[in-house]
Amino acid sequence: MQDTLISIGNAAQLLNVSIDTLRRWDISGRLQSIRSGPRGHRYYRQSDIDQYIEEARLLARDWAESPHALEPKSDMYCQTRDVFQARLETFQSKLRHVAPLQTVSLVTAVAGEIGNNSFDHNLGNWPDISGIFFSYSLRSKYVVLADRGQGILATLKRVRPELTQASEALKVSFTETISGRFPETRGNGLKFVRSVIIDNPLTLSFQTGDAHLYLKQKDNTIVVNKAKTYLRGCFAIIGFEDLL
Amino acid sequence: MIIHVKKFGTTLVSRPTGKEAWLAFQPVLNESSKDEKIIVDFEGVIVLTPSWADEFLTPLRERFGDRVTLQNIKNPSVVATLAILTK
Repeated sequence: MQDTLISIGNAAQLLNVSIDTLRRWDISGRLQSIRSGPRGHRYYRQSDIDQYIEEARLLARDWAESPHALEPKSDMYCQTRDVFQARLETFQSKLRHVAPLQTVSLVTAVAGEIGNNSFDHNLGNWPDISGIFFSYSLRSKYVVLADRGQGILATLKRVRPELTQASEALKVSFTETISGRFPETRGNGLKFVRSVIIDNPLTLSFQTGDAHLYLKQKDNTIVVNKAKTYLRGCFAIIGFEDLL
Repeated sequence: MIIHVKKFGTTLVSRPTGKEAWLAFQPVLNESSKDEKIIVDFEGVIVLTPSWADEFLTPLRERFGDRVTLQNIKNPSVVATLAILTK
């Protein structure tokens, strides 16, 4: 099948970057265009764009799992909460062009809660790289978030010393109102995430340590599995394909 | 007194911004009369999470109790947030 060519404007929209960024990426070789037409306009192969979009999830996982602490690519890295807030609002605004308010509201709320959870529990205590990885694809309909923080087990162990496994801690965080920031009486963020996912056509893949859970609509029971690979912090993919 | 929540922003997701909203609003709250109703209006809010709401609504309810009423709460994230906070 012949590969479709798309304009630089469309490619920028799909990748949630500016046209200038795409021009820079082209010059640096990060994502190369095809010159076509009498004026040599830049076009992109759909397959190249698809591959790049897919890459965001892989990039996030690689970053979260890597023994080497490096800052992620700048367009996917939110070093502080303010940067995350600004990028979340940009995401929300872009999503509004293609999705109803219900989708925009819920997906942004879930992403906001997971991203802010990373900051809440690691502020002043980041083991190496501070901040989070945040990226998304409006075409493939997912949001990916990751951190290289302490992970849920280390956080909850402060208030529940009997916890020894990441799988137990992950289950507790999604089912009980408990805060790793005692004496504060907070700790309902991931319960909120769960309630939104099970009431709506959304999916969530969440890993911390060697524990992984997958949630979808109507999943009233939490099943935590052993992940194939280990990552110290948290890694989440929110899927909203069926909410559009 | 009507608190138009959207004046704090339309994407209300983090604890620090909720806490800042609560602190910044104290002078206005201090001006309320003894039996005045405190109406919290969510009109125009696009995204609300329990993190933000717990820093603003929870202390508001603790301070003013039954005098607090909420309106325009149909936004899906507002519905989901209020359901979690009241549990």
